[in-house]
Amino acid sequence: MAVTSGATPQQPAKRSFNREWLIGYLFIFPAVVIIFLFGFFPIGYALYMSLFRWRVRQGSFIGFSHYQDVLGSVWGGLLFLAGLLSFILVHRLWTSSRKNCRVGAVALLTASLSGLIIGWNAMIGTGDGDFLASLVRTLFYAFLSIPVQIALSLIIAYLLYHNIRGREFFRMIFFLPYITPVVASAIVFRSIFSQREEALANQVLGWFGIAPQRWLFEPKPVLELLFGGQITALNTWLTNSGTNFQLEGLWLGPSLSLVVLIIYGIWTFTGYNVVIFLAGLGNIPRQLYEAADLDGANGVQKFWTITVPLLSPVTFYLTLLGFIGALQAFTQLYVMRQPSARDSLDTSSLVIFDTFYQSNNFSLAAAQSILLFIFILAITLIQNRVLKGQEE
Amino acid sequence: MARASLPTTTQRQTQRTSVREPYEFKWIHLLIYFVLAVGAFVSVIPFLYMLSTSLMTLGETINRQALPKTPQWANYLEAWREGQFSRYLLNTVIITTLTILGVLVSSVLAGYAFANISFPGRDTIFMILLATLMIPGTVTFIPNLLMIRGDIIPWESWLNSLPALTVPFMAKAFAIFLLRQFFRNIPKELWDAARIDGAGHLRFLLVVVVPLSKAPILTVILLTFIDSWNEFVWPLLVTTTATWRPLGVGLWTFVNEAGPQTHLLMAGAVITIIPVLVIYFLTQKHFTEGIASSRS
Repeated sequence: MAVTSGATPQQPAKRSFNREWLIGYLFIFPAVVIIFLFGFFPIGYALYMSLFRWRVRQGSFIGFSHYQDVLGSVWGGLLFLAGLLSFILVHRLWTSSRKNCRVGAVALLTASLSGLIIGWNAMIGTGDGDFLASLVRTLFYAFLSIPVQIALSLIIAYLLYHNIRGREFFRMIFFLPYITPVVASAIVFRSIFSQREEALANQVLGWFGIAPQRWLFEPKPVLELLFGGQITALNTWLTNSGTNFQLEGLWLGPSLSLVVLIIYGIWTFTGYNVVIFLAGLGNIPRQLYEAADLDGANGVQKFWTITVPLLSPVTFYLTLLGFIGALQAFTQLYVMRQPSARDSLDTSSLVIFDTFYQSNNFSLAAAQSILLFIFILAITLIQNRVLKGQEE
Repeated sequence: MARASLPTTTQRQTQRTSVREPYEFKWIHLLIYFVLAVGAFVSVIPFLYMLSTSLMTLGETINRQALPKTPQWANYLEAWREGQFSRYLLNTVIITTLTILGVLVSSVLAGYAFANISFPGRDTIFMILLATLMIPGTVTFIPNLLMIRGDIIPWESWLNSLPALTVPFMAKAFAIFLLRQFFRNIPKELWDAARIDGAGHLRFLLVVVVPLSKAPILTVILLTFIDSWNEFVWPLLVTTTATWRPLGVGLWTFVNEAGPQTHLLMAGAVITIIPVLVIYFLTQKHFTEGIASSRS
């Protein structure tokens, strides 16, 4: 559309223009008030709250000491954040066409990794261990469930897009988990993955001759359950060789209970992704596939050379959306959390909720929520840059 | 090339469905059907498990049979009565209806203004509203709770009241965005004609634009319905009594009270899910297509 900027001859008089403005403002008024009051104002207020002692009622001003307490060392936190954000620069250098940039990228990568490690170590010793560990668990949850969701849904969508019967039927079935109320499906999963020997998940394991597991009740990492002996041996070897590092706790990855939640996430969102991917597939010109057919390409080749590259904007969108969702996930974790799994399901949202609801420490919870927000923003920013860069 | 914008998406979709080729069997299809069937089976297992368990006796749930010997339909009656589901269901219907109405009013008006009325700061305000999509609920729930309780603005506490459960959800950035995109493609000539006939913006919106926009409005209704039915944390915080407690929180309360009576829990879960499923099956085609076109 050609832009003829304001050059239209019969512009209404100035007076009616003002009336037009008024109508515009009146029309957006209800939406703006509600979104401002319950969407924006709370951020500022959470920031304000976090600077006070605030248990149910507002107390004395304490400045940034909550942030100090959570992070242990604010400088450590900032160093960590800087290390995180410099990945964007690393990526830009690495993909840049100029000479010697790759060397710079590697150097910068080393710097940002050491920034991450130094910052993290400064925080973990003195900071709020529960909250910091919860950030790592949140990342486990997001990074393990999203790629699987995307891969599965891409394959399913590609298969569904073939000229087959019952496409609508399959699409309807795959979409079902997404529209199911989370509390209800989480309760069903609680029952399927309970620690009882007769639980459905354990019966399925039984068919393959595997001993029943404790699933949602299991605080131990999956790796420890699988390779317990080897890990103990490795740790004794580490001790004997004089290192004070032990492969334990969060270094061993997610607990079995968190893996159940990852399965739940995959179960819920794969169908949603399928539907969006199908819409994306509809936008790929048929002729490309026909041309590939003439060249004698098989299904797998067409998938990798046409479908995957042309769907990359959709993949990018779904990945970003999935991450934002996963980093904020709450209901399913809250409903499936079992006391005997201890803190192994406590992602950041749950820790914040507990600080607020159980310990009634309103301002500490507010400070934690602000930190989570910054963390989410940083992760999304990095993804945005890195994935967008790849797509071009 | 692959960056199709919103309007072309819908256009091409209709094209695609209209030129659908006739079915032709190929051997590879057997493999495709097999993979899809496995996927579909995994998708529905939890539902089958839930249905089957909800019809068992307590003994059968403990012995873990796959299917109940004789379906115990009375479980539903028992869960319904013990869990106060009639009250929760009614509450949720009221809450969802009010929320949908609120979202429709606020987003149709705002979507129209952002699309067709020019006023200073329009695009800036629109971008700011869109930014709310990035804000995690974890950050907002604490201040919002204080606000509702009257700690920030000294009004009477809204706890355990209908406004607390509906008003905060009555405007949604995605709905405004969706409707704006659609309204923008309505030909300007229609507005010129309406203006010559002496219609103002509101009249034009209600008489011409809204009837033309049934599809995106239905999408907004369905998405709001799902969100509202699904809401959990906020109602959990603002309903300390059963008066306005919605279905999701009611089910959670029931879980904590019923303890290990799995058959009743599953009956409760079925009761919570059924209304959503009914609406989904009734509007299935529009539902998935609406979501696909709105969010891709």
